[in-house]
Amino acid sequence: MLAVEDLVTRYGAVTALDGISLEAPEGQVTAVLGANGAGKTTLLRTISGLVRPQQGRVLLDGTDLSRTPPEKMTSLGIAHVPEGRGVIAELSVAENLRLGGLHRRAGAEAVDVDRVFALFPVLKERRTATAHVLSGGERQMLVIGRALMAAPRILLLDEPSLGLAPRVVAQILALLRNLVESEGLTVLLVEQNAASALSIADRGVVLNLGSVVASGAAERLAADEKLRHAYLGF
Amino acid sequence: MQQFFTTLLAGLTLGAVYAAFALALCLIWRSTRVVNFAQAPMAMVTTYVALEVIDHTGSYWFGFAVALLAGLVLGAVVERGLVRFVEGKSDLNVVILTLGLFVVLHSLAAIVFGQDYKSFPAPFGLRGLHVAGHDIAITGFGIFTLIAVAVVFGLLVALFRFTDLGLKMRASAFSPEVARLLGVRVGKMLTLGWALAAVVGSLAGLLVAGGNLVFPQFMDSVVVYGFVAAVLGGLDSPAGSVVGGLVLGLALSFVSGYAASDLVPITALGILVLVLLVRPGGLFSHVAERRV
Repeated sequence: MLAVEDLVTRYGAVTALDGISLEAPEGQVTAVLGANGAGKTTLLRTISGLVRPQQGRVLLDGTDLSRTPPEKMTSLGIAHVPEGRGVIAELSVAENLRLGGLHRRAGAEAVDVDRVFALFPVLKERRTATAHVLSGGERQMLVIGRALMAAPRILLLDEPSLGLAPRVVAQILALLRNLVESEGLTVLLVEQNAASALSIADRGVVLNLGSVVASGAAERLAADEKLRHAYLGF
Repeated sequence: MQQFFTTLLAGLTLGAVYAAFALALCLIWRSTRVVNFAQAPMAMVTTYVALEVIDHTGSYWFGFAVALLAGLVLGAVVERGLVRFVEGKSDLNVVILTLGLFVVLHSLAAIVFGQDYKSFPAPFGLRGLHVAGHDIAITGFGIFTLIAVAVVFGLLVALFRFTDLGLKMRASAFSPEVARLLGVRVGKMLTLGWALAAVVGSLAGLLVAGGNLVFPQFMDSVVVYGFVAAVLGGLDSPAGSVVGGLVLGLALSFVSGYAASDLVPITALGILVLVLLVRPGGLFSHVAERRV
């Protein structure tokens, strides 16, 4: 299980995370919601080690990761999926996927690229294409597929809906839900698109200006009208 | 006809040297987005190392191997010890750094190895081959030059295209942060990029030096043409570097063979200006156009 305790991250004078504690229970989707600047992306970047917290701990099954370099995360079973632009545009689709499998979770068997192609058939058709020609939705599929090549136990997903058509968002989120059900993946999903995220999440955490303002079961958050109006914008 | 072939072959061997130099520039550009102005003096230093080893052991090939190894170490040390501290800062910082290194290495070489002209041996004959009653303008060393550059180019292409290491190096260069998230130790890849580039640079130094005189400034003439070759081919493309080098070598050789050797520098400049006007990214560029 992944948990963060009292996490404080600052960029110079700006406090992006101001004492955040949350848990991402195993085999569940935990959605982290909030407006721009709420600290959602910083939270993921702090968990994966790209940014160092000033205070607090990141715990993976009780082990503190807050000083572990980001290069180690995939071998620990944590895959951070950056926003859709995280494809390496100069490499081909197949090369992006191959790269994802090079440093997989310690002890895991190599993931067959055909498994990813089965999940995202469009990637198979475009396997030799350079990633820069992919559409936004295909890029998002590629970054998720690439993360799966590392056989992760925990997926950290940053705004998978960003800039995508609603139909594509629904397709990608549904696929994610299936992965959680079938493989027991743990997902920490950061989203601005609260309605879509809560529709597949088990639990939700709402951030505002670097602090947790609400958390609980996804249905409860989605039903809380005051919360929706105040923070989630739907 | 005889003169045509002479000029052609001379141009090819010359071009191969420029190609090697441009390849070294291209490797560093690809891995760290830095134009390494200190490439030439780094190669000069390793060539001096080779000369010392050859003088002491009498074996050209031992000196050759030691020079390449010295290049590997020197490249890694320069990246780890100097370039690393200015990486991620303004692009100008690292340019000034490599220019400074250019001056420092020149001075150090003059202090350590002296300002004298020293002759550097060649492993193969330096006289034109004699085949079936005809004199051919290519020398044994010239053939070696062509083969060496072709082999290095082939190895680099194989490294980048077919190996995991090459894939990781490319990923680190194009997108360091994403590469780190995928478990690639980007710092190591950058060091390796510099080290490999310095090996290729050392090879260029050895090829320029073979059968010639070595002194602290002996690589400087190659610097300008090597840069032109790299820009001509597009700094991003190893194939472009090789083609750029060969095209430039041939062009300059024909100018000096059929017009006047005084026109060589101005021709190089003309080619450079033309390329920058017509295809600023170089003949083989496509990556630059892709960046959004």
